[in-house]
Amino acid sequence: MKTPIRRQNPLALQPNHHPDDATLVSYAAGGLATALSITVACHLAICPRCRQRVSEADALGGHLLSHLPQQSLSAEHRQAMLDALDKPAADEPAAGHRASTAIASKETSAEADDLLPAPLQHLLGERFSDLKWSTLGPGMKQVKMHVGNSNLRLFKIAPGTCMPLHSHGGSELTLVLRGSYSDEIGRFCPGDVADLDPEVEHQPIADRDQDCICLIATDAPLRFRGIVPRLLQPFFGL
Amino acid sequence: MTLAASDESGSDNLQQHWLHCMAAVAGQRDKASFMQIYDYFAPRLNSYLHGLGASPALAEELVQESLLSLWRKAHQFNPDKAALSTWLFRIARNLFIDAMRRQPNWLLSELDMEEEIDPHSPSGDSHADGLKVQQAIQQLPMMQAQVVYKSYFEAKSHSEIAEELQIPLGSVKSSLRLAFQKLRVFLGQAEGNPPHGYPDTSSKGEPS
Ligand SMILES: [Zn+2]
Repeated sequence: MKTPIRRQNPLALQPNHHPDDATLVSYAAGGLATALSITVACHLAICPRCRQRVSEADALGGHLLSHLPQQSLSAEHRQAMLDALDKPAADEPAAGHRASTAIASKETSAEADDLLPAPLQHLLGERFSDLKWSTLGPGMKQVKMHVGNSNLRLFKIAPGTCMPLHSHGGSELTLVLRGSYSDEIGRFCPGDVADLDPEVEHQPIADRDQDCICLIATDAPLRFRGIVPRLLQPFFGL
Repeated sequence: MTLAASDESGSDNLQQHWLHCMAAVAGQRDKASFMQIYDYFAPRLNSYLHGLGASPALAEELVQESLLSLWRKAHQFNPDKAALSTWLFRIARNLFIDAMRRQPNWLLSELDMEEEIDPHSPSGDSHADGLKVQQAIQQLPMMQAQVVYKSYFEAKSHSEIAEELQIPLGSVKSSLRLAFQKLRVFLGQAEGNPPHGYPDTSSKGEPS
């Protein structure tokens, strides 16, 4: 199967690979580790299909909420509520990704291509070109972030490099930001998410035309200690 | 495990009632209508927030903040896009996450979610049939019901649920996926789903 190379601004892409419904439901329920939620949010920003799913999962939340047993509040709480209605609202801070959407629309497409997805800009700054990469091994660089009790990292893999994937154990989501890779499941282009069950094994290879940049979130920080040696396995023939 | 009370009679009337209340709140800033919403939802939001692990004081604070947000943004409420309960659920969940994690606001806001929905499809839960959702919930196998419960009411991650229930992570995911695929049939069919709402090609088909 030959897929045409896509080079548009990621914001214009329609993804082919989506998070599992279980992941979208947990996003809606508030149960995903922060790193995974951020990754899902980056995907939702460009995926109407998944926004729809999350809307449905929110609706389930609303349904469940309206059928919960009541836990009553005091008369004082009720009075305080009434009193609060007359107070003027403090100014609402603008939502981060709205602000940056506005930025994006003003820029040239080359500049827009350099922008990180809005949910990442809080953590990493605005631009790919400003990222501080550290070398992880031949053909592989990373930027690591700790968010709450979970790990988020950007991987940059040189064209044609085998990406040793370290699934197994915790939950893991991979979102392609630039370039592409292929594995037994298919070809993953910008906006696509790999959300594999832990028992699934695969061998992704970065496609040959350009660096592949992925966002990888995992909720099992302890298992990460072993990752560097395992990542290097292919290079040392272990 | 019972996820929710079984009395669903008059649910559609209740939905209609909330629409009238919201119209009065948005149009006339009607406090009596607002307090009807308060009286119904505040004790339920309080339960919800307690379940998520908020302290009694934080839960009370977030109940008030959630409903105050409803009061202030009432003019933005669009019943064609989401039911009132969905709107409140999003507000309370986001406030809770902000309070607990002190992270920047990376969750899409309740308003952002609504703006994006395809205007050509009936969407959100405005057409949800509450009675059928409730029946479908009650017919879930025990494992699926537990996983839904722990996800929504305890905000547990897949890994945490796997550990608590002593089942593989993959089973948590498949249970939640299957439960959602059954329930979403009744949660406002969108995307031109077939009548039975069966998963589209990108979902993993599994026997239930
Ligand atoms: Zn998607």
